[in-house]
This record gives sequence, C-alpha cells and structure tokens, in this order.
Amino acid sequence: MAALESETNNGTGKLEFSLDVPFPSSREAIIALQSLSPDREPRKGGISKQLTVSGSTLSVRWSADEARILRVSVNSFLDHLSLVLETMEMFGPPVSQ
Amino acid sequence: MTVVLGFEGSANKIGVGIIRDGEVLSNPRRTYITPPGQGFLPSDTARHHRAVILTVLKEALEQAGLKPADIDCVAYTKGPGMGAPLVTVALVARTVAQLWGKPLLGVNHCIGHIEMGRLITNANNPTVLYVSGGNTQVIAYSERRYRIFGETIDIAVGNCLDRFARVIKISNDPSPGYNIEQMAKKGSQYVELPYTVKGMDVSFSGILSYIEEAAHKMLSSGQCTAEDLCFSLQETLFSMLVEITERAMAHCGSQEVLIVGGVGCNLRLQEMMGVMCKERGAKLFATDERFCIDNGAMIAQAGWEMFRSGQVTELEDSWITQRYRTDEVEVTWRD
Repeated sequence: MAALESETNNGTGKLEFSLDVPFPSSREAIIALQSLSPDREPRKGGISKQLTVSGSTLSVRWSADEARILRVSVNSFLDHLSLVLETMEMFGPPVSQ
Repeated sequence: MTVVLGFEGSANKIGVGIIRDGEVLSNPRRTYITPPGQGFLPSDTARHHRAVILTVLKEALEQAGLKPADIDCVAYTKGPGMGAPLVTVALVARTVAQLWGKPLLGVNHCIGHIEMGRLITNANNPTVLYVSGGNTQVIAYSERRYRIFGETIDIAVGNCLDRFARVIKISNDPSPGYNIEQMAKKGSQYVELPYTVKGMDVSFSGILSYIEEAAHKMLSSGQCTAEDLCFSLQETLFSMLVEITERAMAHCGSQEVLIVGGVGCNLRLQEMMGVMCKERGAKLFATDERFCIDNGAMIAQAGWEMFRSGQVTELEDSWITQRYRTDEVEVTWRD
C-alpha cells in the first residue's frame, strides 16, 4: 500500500491533511469506505474529515484547528484502516455480486 | 434455517459466536485482563481486541465447521459500551458483511444478554435482572419494548465490585468479581455498609466511597480482614438487587426471574435471589459463565431474532454509540 500525504495551511487557519489509499479494485475501495465512514469522530469540535472514493482509490481529507487534534485523528484512522485491510486480506476477495 | 454470526467487544471481552436456529455452534472469547489494582482503559482494550479479533473470528467459523457462505447475517454490538473497542469490532463486522455479501445487524448489548438468557433457560416472560460491570437494570417486557423498571442512578454493581477489587489489589484473573466471590466465602465478620435503594432504583457510588475508606482504616488496624469486607459488600449489594427485583415483580405480577450479565455468574447472588423467589412461589433462571459473561453468541441470538422479524442495519446507520437505552429498541420479534 502506498500513501501520499501532505500538510498545508491554505489560508483558512486550519491544518489540512490528505491521504490517498490505492486498492486493487473500485469495489474494495468502496468496501473500505463504507466500513470506515459510519462512526462519528469522538471529538466533537476542532476536527472534521471526509472520505471519498475515486476509481479504486480511497481519499481522506482532514481539516483541524490544532496539530495535536489532527495527529490523534489521523493516528486513529490509520489503525482502523489497517484493521480493515487486514480483514480484507484474510477474508477477501469480495464475493461476486 | 437461519445462521447468524455475532461479534461482541463492548468491554474487555472480545467474542465471536455463531447460532443456527437456537443452537450455539461456536462461541470463542478472549478477555483483556489487567494487572491487580488496575482497571481497563478504552484505548488499551481496543488494542487488545484488534490484536485477536480476526483469530477469534476464524476460530468461530472453524469450531462451527462453517464457511462464510453458510452465514445468513452478520450481527455486532452497536452499543452501549466503550467507544474505541466498539469501533474496532464494528469495523470488522462491516467489512466481512460486505466481503461476504451478507446483511448487517446492529444489536443492543443489553438485549443480547436478555435474548441469550431466554434462549438458554426457556424462561417464558421473566422479570430480568441485568447486572454487569457496565450495567445494572431491572427489565420487564411490555408491548414491544424491554422496559426499564429500575436501574442504578450512578455506577453499575459490577463496577462497584471491580473498583473495590482494585483497592484490595486482588487479581483480575479470571475476573475481579469472581475473586471477590471466593474471598467472600471465607469472610465471617459482617461490616455494616450504607444500604442505598431509592424506590425502584439503586445507587452504588456512595457504598464504594464508604468501603474504600473503610478498607484503608480497618485493614491497617486489623479490625477486619479483606475477606470480611468482600463478604459484607456482597451481602449489601445483592440484598439491594433482590429488593428492587422483588419490587418489579410485585408491579408486574411476575412469577419468573432471569438474571443475566457477568455479575449473574455469582452463586451467592443466585442463592439470595432464589430465597426471595421461593418465598413468592416464583421461579429463578440463571445461566453459566459461558453466557452470563459477554460473548458473541448472545449478539448472534439477538441478531437472529431481529433478522427473522425483518430488521436490517444499513451501513450508513451502523455507527456505534456509547449510550444506547434498552427501551430504545422496538422488540419486533415478540407480541
């Protein structure tokens, strides 16, 4: 898995972080998206993230007020992502629809 | 024939169970045990569950002799419970449900306990005492809801026991409550503790503060032993539970009591409840540690009932929640 990350301050005063995760297929990227998006961010304020799929890539975009809040959320997400990937590895590939 | 796979991990136990039409095909489980004097924290618990969940899932399938294709529905604990562990388990449930093309079902943890208790004991329509480290409720079924008749207004009875166990630094293996129960058997002196029943409800945080202080004073001065305190605490807590259960039974005209939840394993509690039931001509039902203590099969069983009555959880609605009242769920599978 290769990921592309960048941290930029685009003038809104917020910290931005983006992550792109390639998957073998669009279907698998969507499975990951649907597993990772339902739960709300534990911290109510100061952080928001958006998950999207384009082709077979899962993209995540964070917007945070402070670096430490961003770090916690990204860390958490990466743990969750790796669990989803491990599950897909062990119990995949997805059945034909 | 309906086969349901259930995931449970709302506290420190992680379990995966498979049920086929009322038969438990497998129910493996692991417990995150902390050193004496320490409780379990959400992030560490989630880390523990994350490390073993896929192994336990494999075990559940292997022990049941089933393949993913044989599963009809994937159930998991939606709540209540600790956030981080709940998320860990939900992630795996959502992922396998999608990989295998199976419907998903978010189950209320308390209802999992109730439905497992009903299945195992065959109790008809009991007054339920649900007692664990996280919950203490007296529940009765009425018109499509599990109604809460009485509950703790602060901490759960199991939480009171677990935190006292930390004060006297006894082992958390297999569980602090089990070790308190063993020590209580050797207690001989009854130490008076506050008795805090509030109508239909109970309160435990005052008793905990009291006994924590009493432990420091009395144990160092040799006035009593830790065994005496364990004994006294159990007698007090359990009497309170028996009282509120009896009150609910009187309200409902019920002749059956079902005890579920980890604290329900306690034989002294079962004994005391049994005495009250006998006096009222009522019947007591309880399960053993396989099903009292959090497990995957109980989630599978509640999921089985929900699924067969037409319920399903859409992925976007499958978020977990730390607070989830027992009476929030519409019990579509009973009249």
